[in-house]
Amino acid sequence: MVESEAPLVMANDMAKKYGDFIALHPLNVEVHAGEFFGVFGPNGAGKSTFIKLLTGQLRPSKGQIEVLGVDAVADPQKVKANIGIVPESESPPSFLTPKEFLEFVARLRRVEDIEAKVEHWLDWFGMDEKRDTMCKDLSKGQRQKVMLAAAFIHKPKLLFLDEPFANLDPIYQRKCRQWLLDHVKDGGTIFLCSHVLEMAERMCNRMAIINDGRVLAAGTVKGLKKNEQETLEDVFIRLVGRSIEDVEREEKANETNEGSEEE
Amino acid sequence: MPGATIVSRDWDDVAEGTPLNTGLGTSAQGQELHEPLRGWSSFSATFRVMFKEEGRKSIEFAKKRQIVLFPLLLTLITALTTVGLQFLVGDSSAQVADIEQKTFTWGELRFALHLPLLMFSLGMGTFAFIGHDAIVHRAGTKNYLLAAPALQPLPNSVAHFAYFIKDLCFYVMLILSPVIAGMALGILLETFNGVNTPLAWSSLPWTWLAMIITLGQGLAFAFLGSALWMRGRPYTIFGPLAIVAFGVAVGLGQVNLDGVLWGLYVQSNQSPLIAAAALAGCVVIGLLASALIIDDFDVSVVQREEMFVPIYNRLAFLGDGEIRLIVAKEFVDLFRSGSIKKMTVSYAVPLLVLLGMAWLVDFAEAPIPINLLSYAPFLGFFGFNFYSWLTILDSPEFMNGLPLRVPQLIRAKVIVYFLATSWISLIFIVLMAWQLDEWTSLPTSIIVMFANSIYIVALTAFLMGLRPNKAIFDASVMIWFWIGTVLPLLGLFLLSFTQGDVSLYGNWWERASQDGLAATSAMYDQSMVEQGYKGMIAISVCLLGASALLWKLMDRRWGKAEFSN
Repeated sequence: MVESEAPLVMANDMAKKYGDFIALHPLNVEVHAGEFFGVFGPNGAGKSTFIKLLTGQLRPSKGQIEVLGVDAVADPQKVKANIGIVPESESPPSFLTPKEFLEFVARLRRVEDIEAKVEHWLDWFGMDEKRDTMCKDLSKGQRQKVMLAAAFIHKPKLLFLDEPFANLDPIYQRKCRQWLLDHVKDGGTIFLCSHVLEMAERMCNRMAIINDGRVLAAGTVKGLKKNEQETLEDVFIRLVGRSIEDVEREEKANETNEGSEEE
Repeated sequence: MPGATIVSRDWDDVAEGTPLNTGLGTSAQGQELHEPLRGWSSFSATFRVMFKEEGRKSIEFAKKRQIVLFPLLLTLITALTTVGLQFLVGDSSAQVADIEQKTFTWGELRFALHLPLLMFSLGMGTFAFIGHDAIVHRAGTKNYLLAAPALQPLPNSVAHFAYFIKDLCFYVMLILSPVIAGMALGILLETFNGVNTPLAWSSLPWTWLAMIITLGQGLAFAFLGSALWMRGRPYTIFGPLAIVAFGVAVGLGQVNLDGVLWGLYVQSNQSPLIAAAALAGCVVIGLLASALIIDDFDVSVVQREEMFVPIYNRLAFLGDGEIRLIVAKEFVDLFRSGSIKKMTVSYAVPLLVLLGMAWLVDFAEAPIPINLLSYAPFLGFFGFNFYSWLTILDSPEFMNGLPLRVPQLIRAKVIVYFLATSWISLIFIVLMAWQLDEWTSLPTSIIVMFANSIYIVALTAFLMGLRPNKAIFDASVMIWFWIGTVLPLLGLFLLSFTQGDVSLYGNWWERASQDGLAATSAMYDQSMVEQGYKGMIAISVCLLGASALLWKLMDRRWGKAEFSN
């Protein structure tokens, strides 16, 4: 494979199991430079597990993971040092102020001119007045802004975002969306997980839909639609809804069988 | 440009285990990769911020004024103790003629200083457990820097080591240094008021250093123990066995305690070389414990059988109110978090140690005048730990949106404490009665034990609410806690000397009141035994009454508080 075609992110048979529960079935994935790749699925589909495995936050039960040429299982610290992560539900440390937390992250990530960068991102997210308020006293949206700023502050080429706009107001959703699109235009790469399909239509050039830890379909947003009239929501319900109906049907069938056996 | 691809396979189609890394062929596409900060630079970046975080955490509960008051209180108490040292050690003008028999030696006093400090630090140093909790709860309402390695390029081991050093510094600042300042104040009082104290200026730096070493040793060993425990078998089996074996060896006098308590050894020998080696030893053990911490950020996803309704149904004796619901929820938390095992063990171990002590005393035929009733009041103290643990099992913030009030949750936790531990206490006191062969004192001991146990947990709950762990630095709370616990405990302990086999010490209390340190034991006195018995029952009844009052007053103190721990 020539260097320019080599993927930035690749996993081979990556899977995760907790006891008997399979959170993510083995999957192979490749993401290339300059892509805005989205993984969509209902709540509990395995999206967060997926992103945590790729970013070295979880160890896989099976398979290999490599990011930017670094083995994410053997050296997760190096992977984390060179990417940006916005987690789904994690908040910044409760007893630090946004400014302190950004300074801490910038220091860990060897950012140059820390003070200017911290000021820039506090200003960018409209957090000037809250810079010295402890994070525990911020609203959920404000905490999310701090987490986004912490992921952007070292300008990583590769970003992993898990429900990045949760709790953000529409103004900052638009502002962030535009920043991310510009980032990709400038050669950056984004791996996004969400259940908000609107993001796929507006931002992703490729996407996958997963449910119960399995990939149901993948391709371009346009390619996933059966025809021009079909919306992405229709596709989602067609794929995920049917699989949920299948499960319910199977459960009902099992109950009927058990009932008849008891009789 | 090739596009992203993704495809799933069946679980059984893929071999188990992580394959050997052969390289998948990804590339950074010309991006210069940074090496993550490691070693000293990552430690220093983390330590400073952690220190700030710790200060804020303490202030949040105790407010700035109390954070200052706590060290001041310690200084004052130590200054008074320093002045009173002349009555305790044997080389002062206040002593009676027979110094050897009536006073403590410096060695004994030093031991009394270092042993509790070691116990305290052993209790506070389980950083691997604390770190695991921080990581598990990082998506909750409160997040701490200790969980930062999950997202940031910071090794978990460095974060833990920074936490260890931060805690050590914090305790030195807030506890040890004020104690030394108090000693200095006591010596200064001698200059101004003509009060005699046998403590010399030259001993202060050594005492300070020795206490830091004991504190560091306790924190480091507890850290190491918790780090090994988190690695699972075989440490979870051999660790407790080793601790029990060590305890028995100490009890049988096979281990020299001077060597075990590094700080005590340093204070006794005052060798700079040994002090440096001991300090280095603490740091090395802390480093070793940190190295044993693995970068594991897994939060188990486990499906469980329904537990809430079955437990709720068993609690019918609590009526149909909210308390029953909360108690059921607390029990589910206890079982599901796995804390029931840890908490039961941590509650039972000190009791087993007491039992072991009784056996050892009997084994060595030592004439220590302690009977069954002397042990009974101490059980209540272990309730404080259990209650503290109960308050950190889960974040109660979600209750702010429910028609519940904080006093209800506090009461529910007290009930859970009582239901979860009373059987252990009962078994212990019965075993103790068997060991000491004091069956006649058993009914009274049970009354004393339960009264004291209920009272101390009720007092803890009343004073500290849902945040007992943070109340340690709140001077006003600690003063009330001290007055509320030490006075009745001391009363019960002293009165217990009038009971049981009194041939050794007779009317010790009466004579001590008359003759002070010159008191000698006298013969058995039936009326004194009766008075002592009545006194103990009266104190126990008072404690039960006080518990009921605190139970009632819980609404006034915590009625308007919000759910937060």
